[in-house]
Amino acid sequence: MSTKDADQSLITTDVQTGSRDRTDRTHETVVKARNLDVYYGDEQAISGVSMDIPEHEVTAIIGPSGCGKSTFLRSINRMNDQIDVCRVEGDLSFHGKNVYDEDVDPVALRRKVGQVFQKPNPFPKSIYDNVAYGLRIQGKADEVDLDDAVERALRGAALWDEVKDKLDSSGLDLSGGQQQRLCIARAIAPDPEVILMDEPTSALDPVAASKIEDLIDELVEEYTVIIVTHNMQQAARISDQTAVFLTGGELVEFDETATIFEDPDDDRVEDYITGKFG
Amino acid sequence: MARTDYQHQLEQLREDVLEMSALVCQRLRRALEALETKDTALAEGIITGDHEINQLYLDLEQQCIELLALQQPVAGDLRFVAASFKIITDLERIGDLAVNLAEYTKQAERERYSEIDIDYIGTQTVEMVETAMEAYATDDVAATHEIAATDDEVDTLCEGASEVVVRDLLEAETTSIDELTDDALLEDVSRMLLTIRDLERVGDHAVNIAARTLYMVENDDELIY
Repeated sequence: MSTKDADQSLITTDVQTGSRDRTDRTHETVVKARNLDVYYGDEQAISGVSMDIPEHEVTAIIGPSGCGKSTFLRSINRMNDQIDVCRVEGDLSFHGKNVYDEDVDPVALRRKVGQVFQKPNPFPKSIYDNVAYGLRIQGKADEVDLDDAVERALRGAALWDEVKDKLDSSGLDLSGGQQQRLCIARAIAPDPEVILMDEPTSALDPVAASKIEDLIDELVEEYTVIIVTHNMQQAARISDQTAVFLTGGELVEFDETATIFEDPDDDRVEDYITGKFG
Repeated sequence: MARTDYQHQLEQLREDVLEMSALVCQRLRRALEALETKDTALAEGIITGDHEINQLYLDLEQQCIELLALQQPVAGDLRFVAASFKIITDLERIGDLAVNLAEYTKQAERERYSEIDIDYIGTQTVEMVETAMEAYATDDVAATHEIAATDDEVDTLCEGASEVVVRDLLEAETTSIDELTDDALLEDVSRMLLTIRDLERVGDHAVNIAARTLYMVENDDELIY
């Protein structure tokens, strides 16, 4: 997808149909931050963050509580817009288009940049309707084969085989791990490019968490995954590169995950990941 | 400092590895002494005491496995545990080589090759191991490179010593007296070549320890291969 096309996709309210070209496996930068500052009122949550996030890779963001990692994640799809006192300065672009430009439609942006939250939060609807919801509110329901889209999303979330015979059952009847995969299916149904995950396994048991980790490994074939996690071993297991935020919202180090966990440059990162502070 | 129990376990591992190395070096020095003085009683003690080194090795291996499994060390801590895991294997092998030297002491019945200073070569290799372990204890990167250089000198000494033995064998072939004498000569030649080879291997293990120490301190694998 060219930068021009991507820019247009954020601005237009028209719904684009059909899948994007996934044969292109170049790891171009999809999200770029330059000197990004985020404030909640007078308090600075993100301080001068610059980083390039490549597409079709898993980027993990780790750091102690209150370091701004979730704020950074929510800045990417402008979820912070809903917080009145939140103010963003600097540049945060998606395919070269600053997502905070006035002509960017946040709803169109979130279509491209989906999100999965810490606690599974399926709607009190059927499994089918949970997944179809996003397509319906985007007006896609008339344009695509909804049954096919729901099945594709559920297969993509590795949930289809477990729910194909009970699509009319409530999403709330599923186990915690299944609910989270349902939320992932809901997130990928509108065919986003980027999936933001904010501690997606912290409320799950190890087996359910393991399934989500396996799923992330599959998702990255088609999507770009940016995951905030408190579980450093999880970051080490599943990510291609890791960003370490420390107190004050500063991005201290961003490198290949193997480098971060074997030989980080910054002593503060070494101290944090080895548990000497934090 | 957070994770105090974990930090204590790391420090304990370092102390225990150093304790194992002290025991191994002591055994190696005694083996060289036994070889030099033909003290078969001392040699016997080294052979029967090898199980202590083996047990230490197994205990330390378990310590490393538990640290990896339960504490999941990363970065410098991970390199320390990984290096220690490898180093204890080298130490255990050096212990085995000390046993070999003790065995040769028991087998030797004659003085031959007085021109080969086995004690000097042996002392060089023990000092290499001790220096390597000192580097491990103090994160001394410069020392790791010095050990690699010393190993080249030891290799040269061993090569020269082997040549002396082989030359002696070739000369003996031309002046063979009887079968009994020939057998004795071959035994002596074999034993001396094995002694030289084993000491050269002690030096190689010292280099391995230095290489792992360099990796541990600086994530540098220059000396590993």
